[in-house]
Amino acid sequence: MAESPSGSRPEVYWPKPVAVSADAAGAPVAVGDVAVEAVREEWLVEDRWWTPRPLQRRYFEIVLADGRDIVVFREPAEPPEAGRWFEQRA
Amino acid sequence: MYVELHVHSSYSFGDGASLPEELAIRAAEYGYPAFALTDHDNVCGAMEFAQACAPLGIRPIVGAELTLVDPEARPERFHLTLLVENADGWANLCRLLTEAHADTRPHPERDPLPPVLALASLLERNEGLVCLSGCARHGALAGAWERGEPRRAELVARRLVAAFGPERLRIELQRPYWRRDRARNRWLAALAERFGVTCVATGNVHAHDPSRAPLADALVAVRNGTTLEESEALRRGNANCVLAPPAEMAARFAECPEAVAESARLAERLQFDLTSELGYRYPGSEDPDADATLAEICRGRLELRYAGMPERPEAERRLEEELRVIRGLGLSGFFLLHFDLLELARDVAAEVRGPDSARALLPPGRGRGSSVSSVVCYLTGLSHVDPVRAGLFLGRFLNDEITEMPDIDLDFPRDIRERLIPRVHERYGRDRAALVSAFACYRSRGAVRDLGKALGLPPAEIERVAGIADVYARGDELERDIAEAIGPGRAQSPRWRWLARLAREAWGLPRHVSQHPGGMVLSTRPLVDICPVQPAAMEGRQIVQWDKDSCADAGFLKIDLLGLGMLSAVERCVESIAKARDERIDLSRIPLDDTETFEAIRAAETTGVFQIESRAQMQMLPRSLPETLDDVVVQVALVRPGPIQGGAVHPYLARRKQLREDPEFEIPYEHPSLEPILSDTLGAIVFQDQVIQVAMALAGFTAGEAEGLRRAMSRKRSEAALDAYGKRFVAGAVERGVERELAEHVFEQVRGFSGFGFPKSHAAAFGLLAYQSTWLRVHYGPELLCALFNEQPMGFYPPDSLAHEAQRRGIDVCPADVNRSGVECTVELRPGAEPAVRLGIGYVKGIAAEEARALVEERQSGGRYRDLADLASRSGVGRDGLERLAWAGACEPLGIEHGRAPRREELWRLGIARGSDRRGTVVRGEGGRRRRGPEHVQLALPLPLPALPDLRPLDPWERIVADYASTGVTLSEHPMELVRPRIDRELVLTRELPMTRDGSRVAVAGLVVARQRPATANGVVFMLLEDEGGVVNVIVPPSVYERCRLAVRTAPFALVEGTLERREGVTNLLASAVERLETPSATEAEVRHIEPPTNRELGRDTGDAYAAERAGRVPEGELAAVAPRAHSFGRRG
Repeated sequence: MAESPSGSRPEVYWPKPVAVSADAAGAPVAVGDVAVEAVREEWLVEDRWWTPRPLQRRYFEIVLADGRDIVVFREPAEPPEAGRWFEQRA
Repeated sequence: MYVELHVHSSYSFGDGASLPEELAIRAAEYGYPAFALTDHDNVCGAMEFAQACAPLGIRPIVGAELTLVDPEARPERFHLTLLVENADGWANLCRLLTEAHADTRPHPERDPLPPVLALASLLERNEGLVCLSGCARHGALAGAWERGEPRRAELVARRLVAAFGPERLRIELQRPYWRRDRARNRWLAALAERFGVTCVATGNVHAHDPSRAPLADALVAVRNGTTLEESEALRRGNANCVLAPPAEMAARFAECPEAVAESARLAERLQFDLTSELGYRYPGSEDPDADATLAEICRGRLELRYAGMPERPEAERRLEEELRVIRGLGLSGFFLLHFDLLELARDVAAEVRGPDSARALLPPGRGRGSSVSSVVCYLTGLSHVDPVRAGLFLGRFLNDEITEMPDIDLDFPRDIRERLIPRVHERYGRDRAALVSAFACYRSRGAVRDLGKALGLPPAEIERVAGIADVYARGDELERDIAEAIGPGRAQSPRWRWLARLAREAWGLPRHVSQHPGGMVLSTRPLVDICPVQPAAMEGRQIVQWDKDSCADAGFLKIDLLGLGMLSAVERCVESIAKARDERIDLSRIPLDDTETFEAIRAAETTGVFQIESRAQMQMLPRSLPETLDDVVVQVALVRPGPIQGGAVHPYLARRKQLREDPEFEIPYEHPSLEPILSDTLGAIVFQDQVIQVAMALAGFTAGEAEGLRRAMSRKRSEAALDAYGKRFVAGAVERGVERELAEHVFEQVRGFSGFGFPKSHAAAFGLLAYQSTWLRVHYGPELLCALFNEQPMGFYPPDSLAHEAQRRGIDVCPADVNRSGVECTVELRPGAEPAVRLGIGYVKGIAAEEARALVEERQSGGRYRDLADLASRSGVGRDGLERLAWAGACEPLGIEHGRAPRREELWRLGIARGSDRRGTVVRGEGGRRRRGPEHVQLALPLPLPALPDLRPLDPWERIVADYASTGVTLSEHPMELVRPRIDRELVLTRELPMTRDGSRVAVAGLVVARQRPATANGVVFMLLEDEGGVVNVIVPPSVYERCRLAVRTAPFALVEGTLERREGVTNLLASAVERLETPSATEAEVRHIEPPTNRELGRDTGDAYAAERAGRVPEGELAAVAPRAHSFGRRG
């Protein structure tokens, strides 16, 4: 995620770091201090494995207690992002 | 409990990344009691899968995921998964798949279209099938929902429910961890409830292990002809398409446990057993009179064949014994079917050969393989070798306990075979006869090309890597090849490292289906009820979806109608002798003890003959020194992986030598019981049937058990079975009083044999052809050479090497000549001299067959061509063809007759004479290919040509380059004659090697004719180098190969330094270094003019100036591009 947004892509789509608390299974339970009400979808993206920067993300579409429906994902535990969470516009 | 019901193997070409066996083994490890194979639009792997599952205790469920279209509604294609419940279901699935493939080859010369089935066909024919609603992306229901067409999905669901009913329709839920999995599955579950249908969970598996997921991704890109980057939307997006343990799958579907439970319930219902419920019968199997008919034919023919012969009593005894076994096995109809087929072949041969042809004396084909040991086969014409006189053992072919159909292989000349195959289709019905499939599997080069493109690597570099890669390279070797081709630095980049890994994983996976060289299956029931049939690439041919192993497992009667190039060459040769010398040769009556023929064999003067021409055979002949046809038979069988790995070669050669030196020498046998079995081969196991006999004699195997051992040795998927046979072998031998150590030692020889070996009967058939072709070479050298030229590609040597070798032994080989050549190569009679061989007009590359025919016919009817203008105006050959003829030197005689220097001048003159071609209209030629018809080209007027400019003649290099580029054969100087003066090293000529002291250090340079890296040679590579004086065998030890791999693998010309070794009349060069042959100046870049500049343009007075300019350079690169490629013979397995 250290890569900067490409010129042709609106910055609004670019993932933003977000603080997420997760349970033992890795599912988010809170974003910031807002509790997660429900997990609507969960999916995996494992791609670009043939490049120097493989992509491996676990995505969740969640409904928060404040009514927002957002998509968050977690990078793998390895550097450079070392398990950090991001929010991405769906 | 979860059972996986949706699995793709690598037979889902370009999609699945694991073999059925790998999936079965992993499923067993995970504890699956059953699971299903559902490849895309085929059941190619179904039998292999069923056979793999059986010993693992897994119940195989067969089916397929079909691609369908509903033209009445929407054009989009969608998938449905069909599972077979019973025999009717299997028959219906086969018919549906056959229909899906029916229109996949509208243009045989192009790639096939993807198969597709109309939904209406499935709705009509679905008894015995259970239908699952298909995968998450393309499924009939899920796919429509994904596309935002839920109404459409409901309409399809309604029709499926009406056709299958809730009993046989399941809504398929998948959880591939995609974005809308939950929503989709919720919608599907609701739909199922509305229609009263049950849901079932499936995994849509594409690999047996997560490590194969990248390969599955890459194969998708390969299938779509694109790169990984560009195929994102087509790929699965993550690595969850892999077989997972049942508990993990249950957890994945935690929200729908009923769908998980349903997978097991449904699996329990699907009890169809592919291995026992096919109901196959071959034509004639139910004929009540078959026993009597066969006996009558054989007894009648025995009367004729053995009349007055001492072998008659033994022949009668063997015949009655064979007839008894055949009756007992119910196989009389099997032999009658082959007899019938041979009669058909006889008719076809008569049509192809013509009634007055010298070939008419020859049988239509010949038996090969173990069937040659059968007296029934001999009497019914299926074999041409008398098994009684040849002492052939029957057990390998036929015994009371065989469980599979015996093999009868028939070799035919190519032209007869081509005509025979469609006639077999006609005779037995297109729905009852089809060819067997073969699966082209990934090897290193194909994998590098396909996967390199998918990875988006530069095409030129991919080609460079593919060019140097050992065809059979796996693992580290390929990584080194990549490093050598593009440099170690770049080879470490992620994409190149991935290429090495993916190519290693893809190795051995089937890439696409093709046709077996000649295996046909025939059936009384329509084949399409038993196995799907699809069109082959060759027009008019069709194939079943199973390869030869699967057909054998299915108990199909497979008849091998094989095309044998040497048989065609021998027939051509006989025909040519009749034409050129007015002598009719009956090869069945030539003397089998001809002194000159055996002298040639012993001296390894066998280039071009059948089997004993190879480098390895030539190495062995001066050591084994065959004296009889039986010796040749052993010789043919000896140079095979089986005897080599089984350690038979050196004992056999050593004992022959000892016997020559001391006729009283006693052969040491491992055990007295082996003496009668191995006496012909001096105590060594050389023939496959000896394995059977050894197992019976030493270990007490029954004939059936021993044949089982033989089969386990020869099949790829039976390592475990071979171990089991080993234990039984040792135990059986020990029980019979043989020491355990000895029993184990003998079994090791048997096991070593498992590479590949000939049965004696096969060797007898091949040995005879080897002898006959040598006899023809010795007595009718020009005719055999001519026949070999016309039957290319075949054999061990390229035509260029055949020509050079023939020239060295005094046969005149003449270039193509528009006033002398036929369409094909011909033998020219010359008064007072040996006949010569003339290259044909058709040998010039790029000349269309119609043009060559037109040129020759016009000459025959209108007389010789007077000059180029005459040729251009009368021959009907287009400008391109005329230029090719000129480059090949075929027009030179026209120039010479007019006192001119040829080729370049001819090209200039042709430009004037021919003018610009008007292109003919497009017509459909042979094989339905489109071409421009020369008959529509307006002929040029025979106008007198203007005076020539001062054109420089071709120098020798240019001439050789032109020869290789145009015909692949150079007949003037050997290229080495021109290279040699420019090499600043002391070189030894190959013809000087016999006079060079054994053990000398020498350097030899030459054209690489063949390179070979046999699996049996522990990493040693062999090269055959040819210079102007002959050839030398080069042995490249592994350490030298490691240092010089690039040169050994790719150099068209090589310089080898090493030690001369001479043993028992055989000379070898043991290499210590191998270099690509080039002089420093050869690396200069050179701009090549299409029309080289004239002397005037160069400002020079004479043509010699340009030649002098070139003299400092050796255009090695130029020549390498067109020089005949060395035949490479790689490793097996």
